[in-house]
Amino acid sequence: MTATALTLVHDKVTQGLRIALAGNPNCGKSSLFNALTGAHQHVANYPGVTVEEKRGRTKLDGLNAEITDLPGTYSLSSFSPEERVAEAELATHPDVVVVVADSTQLKRNLVLLVQVLQAGANPVLCLNMADEAAAAGQRLDVAKMEALLGFPVVETVGHRGEGVSALKAAILKAAKQPLIKHRLVLGVEFERALTVIARELPTEEDARAHEWVALKLLVGDPTHTARIATRKGGQGVIATALAERARLETLSGLEIAVYTAERCFGFVDGLLREVSLHPARANARELTDKIDAVIVHPLLGVPIFAAAMYLTFWLTFSVGEYPMGWIETAVAALGSWVTSLWQAGSESPLRSLLVDGIIAGVGGVLVFLPNILLLFFGLAFMEDTGYMARAAFITDRVMHRFGLHGKSFIPMLTGFGCSIPGIMATRTLENERDRLTTMLVLPLMSCGARLPIWMLLVPAFFPAPWRAPAMFGIYALGIGLAMLLALVVRRTVLRGAEAPFVMELPPYRLPTLKAVVRKMTERSWLYLKKAGTVILGISILMWVLTAYPKPESFKVDRDIAAGTLTVSDDTTLTNLRAAEALEQSFAGRVGKTLEPVFAPLGFDWKIVTAMIGAFAAKEVFVAQMGIVYAMGNVEEAGADDLRQTLTRHYSPWVGLSMMVFLLIGTPCMATFAVTRRESGSNKWALLQFFGLTTLAYLLALVVYQLGSLLSA
Amino acid sequence: MITAASSLVPANISSSLEDYLETIYLLVQQQGFARVKEIAHAREVKAASVSVALRRLAELDLVRYERREYIALTEQGEEAARKVLTRHRLLTRFFEEVLQMPADAASNQACAMEHSLTDEAMDRFVRFFEYLGSCPTVIESFRRCPLSLAPDKAAARKDSNCATCRAHSKVETMSLADLRPGQHGVVEHINAKGALRQRLLDMGMLPQTPIELERAGLGGDPLWIRCQGARLALRRAEASSIAIRQLP
Repeated sequence: MTATALTLVHDKVTQGLRIALAGNPNCGKSSLFNALTGAHQHVANYPGVTVEEKRGRTKLDGLNAEITDLPGTYSLSSFSPEERVAEAELATHPDVVVVVADSTQLKRNLVLLVQVLQAGANPVLCLNMADEAAAAGQRLDVAKMEALLGFPVVETVGHRGEGVSALKAAILKAAKQPLIKHRLVLGVEFERALTVIARELPTEEDARAHEWVALKLLVGDPTHTARIATRKGGQGVIATALAERARLETLSGLEIAVYTAERCFGFVDGLLREVSLHPARANARELTDKIDAVIVHPLLGVPIFAAAMYLTFWLTFSVGEYPMGWIETAVAALGSWVTSLWQAGSESPLRSLLVDGIIAGVGGVLVFLPNILLLFFGLAFMEDTGYMARAAFITDRVMHRFGLHGKSFIPMLTGFGCSIPGIMATRTLENERDRLTTMLVLPLMSCGARLPIWMLLVPAFFPAPWRAPAMFGIYALGIGLAMLLALVVRRTVLRGAEAPFVMELPPYRLPTLKAVVRKMTERSWLYLKKAGTVILGISILMWVLTAYPKPESFKVDRDIAAGTLTVSDDTTLTNLRAAEALEQSFAGRVGKTLEPVFAPLGFDWKIVTAMIGAFAAKEVFVAQMGIVYAMGNVEEAGADDLRQTLTRHYSPWVGLSMMVFLLIGTPCMATFAVTRRESGSNKWALLQFFGLTTLAYLLALVVYQLGSLLSA
Repeated sequence: MITAASSLVPANISSSLEDYLETIYLLVQQQGFARVKEIAHAREVKAASVSVALRRLAELDLVRYERREYIALTEQGEEAARKVLTRHRLLTRFFEEVLQMPADAASNQACAMEHSLTDEAMDRFVRFFEYLGSCPTVIESFRRCPLSLAPDKAAARKDSNCATCRAHSKVETMSLADLRPGQHGVVEHINAKGALRQRLLDMGMLPQTPIELERAGLGGDPLWIRCQGARLALRRAEASSIAIRQLP
């Protein structure tokens, strides 16, 4: 080892290596990332965007290394957030950039390698899924490829961990090499243009990125052009780039983007021709074709899709019901055990905080976990087999009508079970706008937690023959509004050119259980850590709102003492006290304060107070109504009494107005927390909350006022 | 039949020397002899320049002085001159008759081009030109074809028997979205802009790339495409920005 190489290694020992993994979507990058880093991973979002940021640590021959898994991209153009993130990461000049390529799709995959080289990286080429390529009959002269390219080339099978040690060795080897300037032969005129532009770049530009910036200016990349334009001498180099572009376009008779792509593909073509020992058989993918003939069959496709959706839904919510029950039981048991630590009937605020605040809050977070785990198991399975893309192919026509994407279907469907896993499932959407739109309208899908509300209200306000249509109507209203709102969102806050749909339909692959479980736990952990803390916080806040301030003394007791009221049994007394306590609490006071605001909707303070409670979780509305009407815990007593009370107190129009408001308005706190987490900003969560609540208010207002007019 | 002679002219002979050979040849053809004065007149240069050029041509054994001032071409010189002239005439005719350029411009273009063609290129060009001449309908249909630079495009007629016309009309009207499931084509041009164009290019949808429409989704959207060995789903609206030529 030479002296310089030694110092280089010394530097890397003290600072650690920085390694980036780049590659196309579906190239098996994630499984390689997992194989390289093991459990030492950190997953987050890049600030302000929905792009996932994955970093992990590993040791390479004793050296510390930080590995960044760049978002999967087809190129480094700056049209999508993923591409911008990947480009920005490469601009920080990691020590080694591993370009992961799907060996069965080398032509397209290696175009990214060309761009990574242009960006000035110290690369290692990793030919992943080498087993599939070999099975298809493709054979490459890897040694020759390495010699031609001048940097390490390794074959791997990521999901089985094959070739990972060779990859690690290759990374080390590349890291020890001083950064070589790789000359790409993309054409004399093309190179000349880049040199001419690079020469005129402002001096403060990073010298390592000169060629890259020159290329970006040549193709007229808006981000780079705008940045350079503000620099000293920037206008001059932009003019030069324009002139060079015109020259190349005249010479080639092609637009610059097409010309550049043709150059890149030409280079890759030439390289592959040099190193190909045996091409893949033409019919290598016939199994996938055979499966597709059934899966997306004009007649069978939809029933198969419906069955797959039903299975996912059943898995998530029916199977999920059991562990949810266990969690609820366990939380309740923990609550009673903690309660038992105090004397019976104790009014200790600490006990109340522990039981009604913290334990109930943690329970509220944990209770979603089975749903999330199971749904993500199903989603990971569908994604890894390749079915997800087919499902999007089947549903896109309908979803696209409403400004959504084929892949929006599954999250929306999940929303009928619960908005939380539904919103998290929007991760399967690559495009940020599609993802945000889906997320924003998703709470309109009437979730499982709202079912108890409909069960209480529909029989209370509708005569028997109208109950089924009313139930159907409330679900249909939700779906209709979601679609309509998606269109509105796409024309207002998320306006802009539509992102290309162009979606790859990967070959069918049998996923490994390890990969599926890993994806499932990774996402569930994100939920627990990021959304969970917010949900817990809001839970405690909600507890304070409904439990404090406590009344000094109860009017019920005073009335009994004065003899103006007789109470038959203790339960009634407890219920009356609870009703009074809620009335006196912050929630009750807020309800009373807001009563005039909601009066045009037909709501009194009791309804408003119950709705404040429903922010904790939608089904809490029923319990809160029970408390304000001094009915005690309605779940235990059965809802019939409460139903009759409601029928007595409110007109059917108030009932309908309530249903409309509860369907549309005030998504629950968990929805708020998860939207905030998944969208990467408060902005979208707040927009969702206030947007939906405003819409709910307006529609409920119309329903009640119109109804009152009709019945008058 | 005209054939380009195997090279008798030294390879390094400059274009101006070739022009001199041509001029001398023409003068000899017209009046039986050539003199410095006349050469200078025809080439619009000074007599002194002519003398320099003639000395060089004599060194190359292409011309010889018969008597003082009277100049004749050697056998080699005549051959070379005839070749240059043939090229000139052929190119002029090509620019004038086929490409429809005015006579002056055609002659100028021929002058500029005649010296730079290699023998092999010229030979091939000659064959092609002969083919055009032997088959006049080809030139005729080219002139009528909207692809040609006919001054009146509206008057240009499409010929249903003409492959060029058929191909051309497809370039104008046919897109990937016009294919039916199972049909093949070749990408001609991407009409999309921005992100969509970039994505299509990233997927390798370059001009001259074969492409197949495998199936369409329910109600005809989206489309299921096969290109560069990959399966892709595209919306119909996106596919219609890809101009293609259908393959049988």
